[in-house]
Amino acid sequence: MIRDITFGQYYPGKSLLHRMDPRMKLVLTFALIVFMFVCKSFASLAVIVLLTVIAVALSGVPLKVIFKSIKPILIILIFTALLNIFYTHGTVQNGDALWISFLNGKIEIWDKGVYTAVFTMVRIVALVVISSLLTYTTTPTMLTDALERLLSPLKIFHIKVHTLAMMMTLALRFIPTLIEEIERIMNAQKARGADLETGGIVERAKALVPIFIPLMVSSFRRAYELALAMTCRCYTGGEGRTRMKQMKMKGRDLVCLFVCLAFAAGIIVLNYFAKHETFSIFGMLFFKQVI
Amino acid sequence: MSHAIELQNVTYCYSEGTPSQVTALKDINLTIEQGELVGIIGHTGSGKSTLISHFNGLLKPTSGKVLIDGTDIRESKETLRQSRFKVGLCFQYPEYQLFEETVAKDIAFGPKNMKLDEDEIKRRVAVAASYVGLSDEMLEKSPFDLSGGEKRRAAIAGVMAMEPSVLVFDEPAAGLDPAGRKELIKLITDYRNKTGCTVVIVSHSMEDIAKIADRVIVVNDGMIAMNGTVDEVFSRCDELQSMGLDVPEITRIFSRLHALGFDVPENVYSVDKGTEIIRALIEGRRSV
Amino acid sequence: MSEKLIEIKNVTYTYESENESRPGYTVLKDVSVDINKGEFVAVMGHNGSGKSTLARLCNAIFEPTEGTVTVKGITADTEEKGDEIRRIVGMVFQNPDNQIVATVVEDDVAFGPENLGVEPSEIRRRVDDALKSVNMYDLREREPHKLSGGQKQRVAIAGVIAMQTECIILDEPTAMLDPMGRKEVIKTIQRLNKEMGITVLLITHFMEEAALADRIIVMDSGKIIDDGTPEEVFSKVDFLRAHKLDVPDSTELCHNLGIKEHVLTADECVRKIASLLGGEAV
Repeated sequence: MIRDITFGQYYPGKSLLHRMDPRMKLVLTFALIVFMFVCKSFASLAVIVLLTVIAVALSGVPLKVIFKSIKPILIILIFTALLNIFYTHGTVQNGDALWISFLNGKIEIWDKGVYTAVFTMVRIVALVVISSLLTYTTTPTMLTDALERLLSPLKIFHIKVHTLAMMMTLALRFIPTLIEEIERIMNAQKARGADLETGGIVERAKALVPIFIPLMVSSFRRAYELALAMTCRCYTGGEGRTRMKQMKMKGRDLVCLFVCLAFAAGIIVLNYFAKHETFSIFGMLFFKQVI
Repeated sequence: MSHAIELQNVTYCYSEGTPSQVTALKDINLTIEQGELVGIIGHTGSGKSTLISHFNGLLKPTSGKVLIDGTDIRESKETLRQSRFKVGLCFQYPEYQLFEETVAKDIAFGPKNMKLDEDEIKRRVAVAASYVGLSDEMLEKSPFDLSGGEKRRAAIAGVMAMEPSVLVFDEPAAGLDPAGRKELIKLITDYRNKTGCTVVIVSHSMEDIAKIADRVIVVNDGMIAMNGTVDEVFSRCDELQSMGLDVPEITRIFSRLHALGFDVPENVYSVDKGTEIIRALIEGRRSV
Repeated sequence: MSEKLIEIKNVTYTYESENESRPGYTVLKDVSVDINKGEFVAVMGHNGSGKSTLARLCNAIFEPTEGTVTVKGITADTEEKGDEIRRIVGMVFQNPDNQIVATVVEDDVAFGPENLGVEPSEIRRRVDDALKSVNMYDLREREPHKLSGGQKQRVAIAGVIAMQTECIILDEPTAMLDPMGRKEVIKTIQRLNKEMGITVLLITHFMEEAALADRIIVMDSGKIIDDGTPEEVFSKVDFLRAHKLDVPDSTELCHNLGIKEHVLTADECVRKIASLLGGEAV
């Protein structure tokens, strides 16, 4: 059933990551993603991998679940890796760096290509794992809340942060309801012989009209009723509202912040000192022996 | 003559092969005969909605077969398509499926999908509209301008216009007031008397089922728990209650009176019948 | 004499027509009625009789075209006063899906008190109490869309309880529920009134539900046509029939048999018939 999809893929738990202040999580995740793009050497990449592994271990989210988040990007991963391997020519060291050559040099694999491929893959995987950890350990509501609070300084530019956050919450709340509704309408029209599966693009687009119109009509009705219900519950916008769930920075948040800062320093330093050469020599030796 | 609908060993699982797999139907064997009026009862989540979605092939059984007029609906693409027209399915709150500019066009949606010619479509729209009591003037209105009750009737006409040999209603009177409810039940029985069609009604209203059904099927926990005449099913009051179901209030009164030792039958489903019986009893005693 | 909570005086309500050539549609005509503090009042009437409009006037979502609605002495003539009234009179609607705003049960219950600017620790306390009083405390961390209709409706009721309103209006809260959900919700409503002392205005077309109230108001064509105890109202079987309403089967059976006392439940009905028959036993 479509309705079993869980949005925001929250994985319930009580781990350190689950209990962290969502604002801190949001900021740190964002910073980490930036650092992933800054990182240039294998040494600093290793630091990121280490941090990712620690984060996964701390989250208590099973590896099986983590792999599920990588699955959808597998094809992209393989595709970028292949592109890099075959089309990145050049070397990261002096001397002979052309490893393999086929068909009179029409296909060549250079060491730089292999490195770039591995590098990019690891980077993308780390990026996906870190960002899904955020959604695995934080409910969508907490995320929107955190976003609202983090962005609240924007109020001085007359940006309605609260309204935006409210809209996000309502969207999250109503997505499952509307999916159910689509399912229901589709079944009703199919029962009247509507054919949604065959025909060309134009016919298929036309076949969606009997689904789209009732969906719109019912969404407007829902919106109206919801607005009425919210008025009845004294909703008048963000002014003067309090929140039941307070967000408080605790010791653990600061610890996490400092750990991340330390790692960040490591990334920068290693970026600067350790160039590809050292590692590419290892790689070279290893690879040549294998071949 | 073959059965109108026959289910052979039908099992259905949601989200098959995932940890959240749920078996909604377990090895169901069921026949519905031509011209019958069958009531299906069961509490929410018992599997009755899943069951009726098999009647016209909207759901594909995980195992087992569904036959309409003796033909397996999964035999070919064409038999599956035909099953939609042979078994008309009218879901809960059908008014939410209206979408056309006019009521007439909306009713014509089904017949159009059947690829009928213009004249035949026109005829069917007119006939279906007359079954549900929509005037010509209403047919030219936008369905969104109708009242709640009229919308519901227009949507039902949309299914009737396919002239299915079996018409299945899921909670046809949900959300209506008592008068609307009575009207709709009358509309369905009138339709059946006029066309001789097989009708299946899924309902939470034991009163309605008891009044009109020839046969009652009780679905519980994905299985057929009872299958028999109204008398047979409603006499098993305790069992029904253990399944989260009720018997009509008037039936409860009479079975209580019966248990108290009074000479009254237990199978009483309407107030009129009940009144008659008690009056007769009083008369009888007077004359003695 | 009990204290008046809601006073409706000579209220007429006309829906404005979007189309100028068409006249507006008058749904309430010169209605006057009082709701007293602590009462459990049921409002009955067929669809389109004006009962929902009456409800919406009571918590100032609608403004009367003519006449006044006063809640605890406050007349809703400005938006601020409307907000003030809604702090006293809460409302639960028919469709459980369209009134839940949050993705977690307890967050939804907190929505009202949050809007009122209640202290966070106080909100927590109110939310827990409210969820306990509707028997939904164990499911407080669930996602609302995974609940049954009856459970959703109880969450909506908890949302109003947490606002600590004095009165709660329920606009056909059971119309979309199955019999089990309906029982759950009705039990909860009775408890609200009997144990927590909240004034309840229940709009319904189920006779068995109305029979549980202290008082029934019957409406047709925008007018109040009867107002009294369930016993009084349901004794007029033919009158109700004429206004497209029903009476409980037990009531009707006893009425048909000429039993003079007013009967509302199956139990009473069995007793009455038994004594009727027993009294003439051979």
